[in-house]
Amino acid sequence: MAVKVLIVEDNPVARSFLCRVVRESFSDTIVITEAGDLETARRQIATQSGSSAVTPTDPFKLILVDLELPDGNGMELLAELARYPATKIVTTLYSDDDHLFPALQCGADGYLLKEDRFEVLVEELQKIVRGQPPLSPAIARRLLTHFRHGSGGGDTAPAPLAPSGFQSSRPMPIGKGAPLDHERLTPRESEVLTYLSKGFTIKEIASLMGIKWFTVNDHIKSIYKKLNVSSRAEAAVLASKQGLV
Amino acid sequence: MAVTGSSLPGADALRERVGAGAAAPSGTGESAFDSGLLDRGFVSESSLSRWMGWRLRLLVVAALLGCLGLFFLARWLGDPPHIDATWRPNAQGQLELAYTGDPQLKPHLGLALIGIVGGDVSVAVADVLTLQRSSRWLIADNERHRHRAMHEQIATALSHHSVRLFFSDGNVVEMQLQRRGFAGLGGMFWLLSAFALVLYLVAMVVLLARPTGLNLLYAIMALCQTGNLVFIAVESTLELALPAPFPRLDMPLRMAFDMVTAAALVNVVCLHPRRLPGAGWIAIMVWAGVAAIVGATTNGLLADVWWWTQAGASAMGLFVIGLLTWSYRIEPHPFAIVLRRFCIVSISTWMLLTVALAAAAQAPGVQNNIAGIGSMIWYVFLGSLLLLVPFLSKSQQIMREFSLLAAISTVATSLDLLFVAVFSFGQFASLTLSLFLSVGVYAGARQWILNQLLGSSMLTTERMFEQLYRIAREVEAHPARTPTLLSQLLRELFEPMEVLVVDKHTTATRILADGSAIILPVPELENGFDPEAGARSIVLRFAHRGRRLFTSEDARLADRIVEQLRRAVAFDKAVEQGRSEERARLAQDLHDDIGARLLTLMYKAHSPEMEEYVRHTLQDLKTLTRGLAAPTHRLSHAAAEWKADLTQRLTAAHIELGWNFSFDEDIVLSVVQWSALTRVLRELVSNIIAHAQARRVDIDFSLEKDRLDLSVLDDGVGRNPRAWSHGLGLGGVRKRVKQLGGEVEWRELSPRGIGCRVIIREFSGRR
Repeated sequence: MAVKVLIVEDNPVARSFLCRVVRESFSDTIVITEAGDLETARRQIATQSGSSAVTPTDPFKLILVDLELPDGNGMELLAELARYPATKIVTTLYSDDDHLFPALQCGADGYLLKEDRFEVLVEELQKIVRGQPPLSPAIARRLLTHFRHGSGGGDTAPAPLAPSGFQSSRPMPIGKGAPLDHERLTPRESEVLTYLSKGFTIKEIASLMGIKWFTVNDHIKSIYKKLNVSSRAEAAVLASKQGLV
Repeated sequence: MAVTGSSLPGADALRERVGAGAAAPSGTGESAFDSGLLDRGFVSESSLSRWMGWRLRLLVVAALLGCLGLFFLARWLGDPPHIDATWRPNAQGQLELAYTGDPQLKPHLGLALIGIVGGDVSVAVADVLTLQRSSRWLIADNERHRHRAMHEQIATALSHHSVRLFFSDGNVVEMQLQRRGFAGLGGMFWLLSAFALVLYLVAMVVLLARPTGLNLLYAIMALCQTGNLVFIAVESTLELALPAPFPRLDMPLRMAFDMVTAAALVNVVCLHPRRLPGAGWIAIMVWAGVAAIVGATTNGLLADVWWWTQAGASAMGLFVIGLLTWSYRIEPHPFAIVLRRFCIVSISTWMLLTVALAAAAQAPGVQNNIAGIGSMIWYVFLGSLLLLVPFLSKSQQIMREFSLLAAISTVATSLDLLFVAVFSFGQFASLTLSLFLSVGVYAGARQWILNQLLGSSMLTTERMFEQLYRIAREVEAHPARTPTLLSQLLRELFEPMEVLVVDKHTTATRILADGSAIILPVPELENGFDPEAGARSIVLRFAHRGRRLFTSEDARLADRIVEQLRRAVAFDKAVEQGRSEERARLAQDLHDDIGARLLTLMYKAHSPEMEEYVRHTLQDLKTLTRGLAAPTHRLSHAAAEWKADLTQRLTAAHIELGWNFSFDEDIVLSVVQWSALTRVLRELVSNIIAHAQARRVDIDFSLEKDRLDLSVLDDGVGRNPRAWSHGLGLGGVRKRVKQLGGEVEWRELSPRGIGCRVIIREFSGRR
């Protein structure tokens, strides 16, 4: 069965470039849907998934979203698709944590910098889909601060994301038993984040911590999840406080 | 800190109660009574608050008693019949009718009175002694006896409603006398008695607010002077004679008042502002001496009572000045200086008055004037001094006004006495002339007097503003140094002997310990930099190197300065915020517009070189906008990003990176430094990736003692760097390094590769 991909990007040149990147990255049959703005993207998702956006019959497996769109910010779409079972990737020109961190909080599984070379983008995309999302020192620093101060959310965390089709089958280290885990990092995760914030590479961290490099990646993935879940818990608590739910 | 210790909370409690009770202007909840003599507590706080209600009631009772007393005194004085006439001495030393409202007496204006007959009492009026208001100010004992006898006789004669007056031309006037009434007592009586009442009330408030030994002594002094003022007020109503007990009581009581006041002053000075060694013994001796003199004179054992009184009071006054000087040597409390000034002024005028009176003994009319006017002015002056003392540290304005009053009245009194004694001017002429001259002298010497009395503020306004803004900038840079910087500013402003930062929470700026210290809370100028900051206070002690008292105006000034500092910091922050918002907006626009176009250009590039060139441009644009948006970068953070970025790019090019980064201080890079270093590193690495065919790049970065060393070494195929065309890339590196004030060189490495070395000797020099 073909893998369905949605690319939301207003610049047609960039869109076709990203299409090439996606096709180059995976050996599966790829069906690409393109959208130039948020409106089109929403329509496409609705038609693809029928009535329910949460449990679509034949969902997109991969969604690339540009942050700067003519009719709004890509983060809006990310927030709407919080429970949509797809790997969501932000494609942007912004590489600073001020722009990227909120996107990650909205549930992005990774980010691609549009000015990177074709080969670099292909490799990065493959990594994200395999479960090795990028994490720049600035964002790692931001994450450390975020988790150190605590997100203050309640313990009614929603269920973790349903696994998307591309995800690796490695079990998540995220603890299901402890309700507060979603807003706390394990010591190992903190350690990984600290090293990342100092600019160490995954390999260097692995050797410093005496673990395999893919274990480091698992930690990073887990941190991503926790960030997303904790921010969603935060939003849920906020919403219930404001009487929205 | 003894100053900030136990005395304060009590004073606060006092302030509320007394402020409400005495109906003082307590709009701000601040009455005058938390300072001055009240501040030094000898009573524990708990018992203080327990007794407050009781004291308040007592104060009301005392006030009522005072008013009632005044009322009955006036009523009693107004009751006896009187002759509606004014008398004055004439050239022959006789009693001449100067003015009358009575038509019966009108024809006799200018004639001398020689006798009064009322009922069965007849009095011969031989001279003008009866016009002498106070027997206290008669020098000779026998004169005083005669004065008393004459007054008693005339009073008895006048107490009959029908009297006959014998004039020098032989005429006899038979008169029916009328009651005098309140209106007949004259303005002077009411003024003086009102003043006496105020003094009495202040004494009561001070005593009841905090009944300590010191306050008791103050109350004794104030009450004695109240007594003196009451006597003077009563004597001001004199026409021909005073009612019965006054002539007899005048000398003993008033002399006792003076002596007790002087003794109490000595006692106070022994204890305040500092307890002197042997204070108890000095006090006991002084009190014993005073008791002996008063006892002896009342029982008639001592002749020349006036001389004894004047000499005793002068001696004690001089002694007080000596004690205050001693006290200031032990501890430079500015209160001692102020008290000493007051004492010097009052003692010198007292002695002047004594000498003038003694010198004028040959001219009875002149002596009469000096004794009446001079002594009255002196007592009013002393009374106002006493009134001022509890409020000393409250307001500079009071001090200033008082200094005006003191200076004018002192100069006027001395000139008046001088004219009257030496030139035998008339009373009115001499008073006018002396007032006129003294106002002139005051106007000339005003600044000097103010400086002497208050000490002047040394810091000019201009310098203060300069300091204020300098400190505002520094506070912004180092919020933790706020207390130190603020102390420094206040030190220059007030020139205190001591500045302390204490870990004590204060809510408002206020004056402590009789104005010898001021305490103000350290303001939180930066939000949330230090949760402990609110709990600290700055204490300044002994203003103007111990020669000046802090007043509530100083407290307000300090508050205003803190407020200005707060505003300056807030203003700087607002400006900085505005600038950074503007920069961020600019960066956003650049990034969004130019960035998107460059991206399109890059995707459409026809050759890899063109694509790489545009990518490069795009990255430079991003660096530029990033620098604009985030004006400061910590070195360690920047290093982490450099490393992550370079690692990613080199890994993609299959080149190994050796990264060595060290620094002795994690400085904050300016935009210029950050973007220059970022671009230099990127340019050098790009160059290696593009041309060197290297397998490994070693980057060494060290920042030590402000010297930056950067070396980028590759093992590529590059040779002879001098022959390189310094195109856009390497020219850019040179330009950036030059911008930072450093130098760059390339050289060949053996066996292969190129090394680039950047040295910046004073890295923080160009920010």
